[in-house]
Amino acid sequence: MALSKRIIKETQRLAEDAVPGISAVPHDDNLRYFDVTIDGPSQSPYEGGVFKAELFLPDDYPMTPPKIRFLTRIYHPNIDRLGRICLDVLKSNWSPALQIRTILLSIQALLGAPNPDDPLANDVAQAWKQDEQAAIATAREWTEKHAKP
Amino acid sequence: MSSPEPIPPPNDRRSSRASSNASLAVPTLDNTREPVELLVVGGPPSTPSPLALRASNSPSSNRRKSRIAKLPPDVHLLEYLSACDSNLICLICHSPFDKPVQLACEHFFCRECLDHAWDAQHDAQKTCPTCRGRVDTTREPLPVPKIIATMLDELVVKCPNTKSGCDWIEQRVNVHDHVLLYCEYTLVDCPDFDCHLYITQKDFHKGCLHYTEHQRTTCPNRSTACPHCSVELLRLELNAHVKDICPKVIVPCPGTLVGCTVAVERADLAGHAKGCSMAIMAPYFRDQQARIERSEARLEPLSRKVGILEDGLSKITNMLYPPNANDSSFPVTNPLDPNSDAFTTAPLVPTPDFRLPPASFPPVPPSHDTSQTPLTNPTPPPFDSQIHHLLTLHGSLRDEVSRIANALTDYEGRTNMMIINENQRVKDEMLHTNAAINGMRMQLHWLVSATLQQRTGSTNSTGNSTSRAGGSTDSNASGTQGTNSNLGSRSAGASATLHLPLRRLSDSTRQNTKL
Ligand SMILES: [Zn+2]
Ligand SMILES: [Zn+2]
Ligand SMILES: [Zn+2]
Ligand SMILES: [Zn+2]
Ligand SMILES: [Zn+2]
Ligand SMILES: [Zn+2]
Repeated sequence: MALSKRIIKETQRLAEDAVPGISAVPHDDNLRYFDVTIDGPSQSPYEGGVFKAELFLPDDYPMTPPKIRFLTRIYHPNIDRLGRICLDVLKSNWSPALQIRTILLSIQALLGAPNPDDPLANDVAQAWKQDEQAAIATAREWTEKHAKP
Repeated sequence: MSSPEPIPPPNDRRSSRASSNASLAVPTLDNTREPVELLVVGGPPSTPSPLALRASNSPSSNRRKSRIAKLPPDVHLLEYLSACDSNLICLICHSPFDKPVQLACEHFFCRECLDHAWDAQHDAQKTCPTCRGRVDTTREPLPVPKIIATMLDELVVKCPNTKSGCDWIEQRVNVHDHVLLYCEYTLVDCPDFDCHLYITQKDFHKGCLHYTEHQRTTCPNRSTACPHCSVELLRLELNAHVKDICPKVIVPCPGTLVGCTVAVERADLAGHAKGCSMAIMAPYFRDQQARIERSEARLEPLSRKVGILEDGLSKITNMLYPPNANDSSFPVTNPLDPNSDAFTTAPLVPTPDFRLPPASFPPVPPSHDTSQTPLTNPTPPPFDSQIHHLLTLHGSLRDEVSRIANALTDYEGRTNMMIINENQRVKDEMLHTNAAINGMRMQLHWLVSATLQQRTGSTNSTGNSTSRAGGSTDSNASGTQGTNSNLGSRSAGASATLHLPLRRLSDSTRQNTKL
């Protein structure tokens, strides 16, 4: 199929021309299933952490966005307890011109710039709004606790 | 790349292009064309492409069943020889554009990719996948600049069947024709009607290889033991083994041809053949037989040729001497009807006019009819002599006639000559007679006048001389009249000449009396 050729090409490019701080490796038995790691961006409460995620390309990818979920626990207003991510390009703003690489970069950017006004984890967003410093401290604490290799 | 999409008539295309240039209304958005293109490129193998459907509807599809399975090459799966300029890469499929289109924001996509991406979006909310700009579906997508299409056409690709062994490498624009028409490695339907597998084009003429392959390698029951020699072998090859190889099969001696009735196992055959004289002679006989057959085969066209020549000859004969069916003197019979009356009556027909010697004109059975079927004539000599006889007869008759004609003209000439001569002589005689008569009349006249003078004495001498002059002129006139007159009036003329002087006499006497 034409579109799985695109997946092969993307996978090749991810391996050959890797983005610093991001990796995505497909499973041997299912080339649509990727093990993803994202380094926490510098000057953020997630700095120094390596966050694991899983990424799955649906059958009609790239017409529908990839499904992605954090496996590492993370304290973030836009990421819920199950690791689900609230990011517009993963939902309504998805475009087939986007790709795995750009999506992962977007997520990395989201870690650097939390948006408590469009929350997925309501309690975290609440805390973030009430006392940002305390929330950032909690985030750093979680990073230390869960995201250190 | 030439796509099998339906080609609009030239006028149609020109008008649509003109309208797209003028109003930027693009006909390529026409939804009725989408499914066609979707089927052509990248359709699942089970989907019949329009080309395949067309091929299956064509009259030659029964013979060239191979066309049916052919699928147009999927441009997205092509392998490019060199890395393609990133500006020619579709952001959706990450391959060089296939039938690209352009949006108003100057972002390019494959037509198919764009349609696919837009599947989920409502008409009013369609956006550019790259910039998310709102798309006006009544105007977009637009055709791409010609140079883009040309650059894409000139990309060098490998044949999609490279893995099967095709080493074709050429511009992308030709790949469609190569795969559908020329590539020997394109998969086509197996020629076996019951086999639903595919086979490469180059093996199409070999027939179904799948079953044989199955029998050779995969079938669990593929091997068997020879019932004669118990050797283990492929079931597929059993027949050939029994026929030509198996040492335990009972085979007849090669001398069977000549009459040897011995039949032994193949392994023992060599021993028997060494001592069997008939087996030794067999090759010689076989050789002989082959030679006879060759000769017979050669004979056949020759006899056919002879038949044709005989046929031609009889036609020529017919043309020269057409048989006259109404001439009872010439026997004409219908050779196709052995019961025809002619069969019995023909020999009885008398031929007296020709005075044929009986030996050269034997009774003519129907098959001997010269006019109809000399080909079937088993004994040609009677036919020849008859014709020859007639020919010579005809020639001699012609000679006779011409001789008679010559004699006739000769005779006629002589007769004419004789008549002329005779005439001349008669004329001469008449002249002589006339002269004699004249002489006699003169004498008579003189005598008469002399006696008259004596009787009348010396009376009227002048009247006498006058009558004498008149009498001489009269005799002259009657003399010329006599030479001119016919022979038949000789006696009449004579009587007239006799009579005239008498009249003169009376005249003169009357004159004399009057005087
Ligand atoms: Zn494309
Ligand atoms: Zn755009
Ligand atoms: Zn080829
Ligand atoms: Zn087959
Ligand atoms: Zn055997
Ligand atoms: Zn023998």
